[in-house]
Amino acid sequence: MAELDFERRLERLFAEAPAMADEDAFARRVERRLERGWTARRLVIGAAGGVGGVIGASQLFMSGFAERMEVASQGSAKVLTAGLREVAPHADWLTVLTSGGAVVWTASVLAVVALGFAVARALEEI
Amino acid sequence: MPGARYSSLHDVELAAHAVAGDRRAFGELVRRHGAGVRALLRRMGAGAEADDVAQDAFLAAFERIAEFRGEGTFAGWVKRIAARQYLRRLQRQRRLKALAVEADEADPPPAGDADGRIDLDESLKGLGQGERLCVSLCFGAGFSHAEAAEALNLPLGTVKSHVKRGLEKLRARLAPSDGAAAQGNDAHG
Repeated sequence: MAELDFERRLERLFAEAPAMADEDAFARRVERRLERGWTARRLVIGAAGGVGGVIGASQLFMSGFAERMEVASQGSAKVLTAGLREVAPHADWLTVLTSGGAVVWTASVLAVVALGFAVARALEEI
Repeated sequence: MPGARYSSLHDVELAAHAVAGDRRAFGELVRRHGAGVRALLRRMGAGAEADDVAQDAFLAAFERIAEFRGEGTFAGWVKRIAARQYLRRLQRQRRLKALAVEADEADPPPAGDADGRIDLDESLKGLGQGERLCVSLCFGAGFSHAEAAEALNLPLGTVKSHVKRGLEKLRARLAPSDGAAAQGNDAHG
């Protein structure tokens, strides 16, 4: 019983934190290190995204992707136009928008940008 | 004032803010528990390194803050992280002496008050490294004997021996508790 009492007393003594004069300074040092870590992480993610974007774009242009995409988008535009005609046969503006493939291109670019944001956000969370 | 906003929040609420990336909320947790963590590390024998290890421990805690679910106290959780960080540092620098030896060499007992009684910090200095680490881990960081054995890479029996010897030494050296002191004064009065 006395042993148990002593052990409890020891736990209480360990739990008592002595007051330290530099408590606030210590906390500020930790906060500064946290801030530095986050800034560095953001810079690394941004730099990696920029480098990845440049490499990806250059690869796309060098591989003749643009021409292939143009052909594919024209095909997609035809399919889209046909589909929209079935839904709204008299809405000519839809046909005008889709016939050039510009909408498909724009949608693709926006999707890539959105994906980029999602990946950057996920990396920040990790 | 952001500080006032955070000071009214419970640790669990602050941790939830920190999970969402709020570093000021985490700063308030550091303000509340920094001294406790640093004191534990000093009691484990970290000395001048205690503050560095404590900083690293809080940074590690921030990285893993999502793992803190409020089942125990935040102080207990971060103390366990700090204790493990310190042990890893000792192992990396090969500064863990042969803790498995039966008779742990200790500093000579420090001078105490008129009755030879001293406080916890001074009492711990009279323990050998193994005794001091085992007692601090089990009574200061909430490790079980088995967890301490695993963390120190020692057989369970050795840890139990260190704790037993450490407790015996501490019981002999620690100043009597307030209640006991009061009783003693009454008896003499």
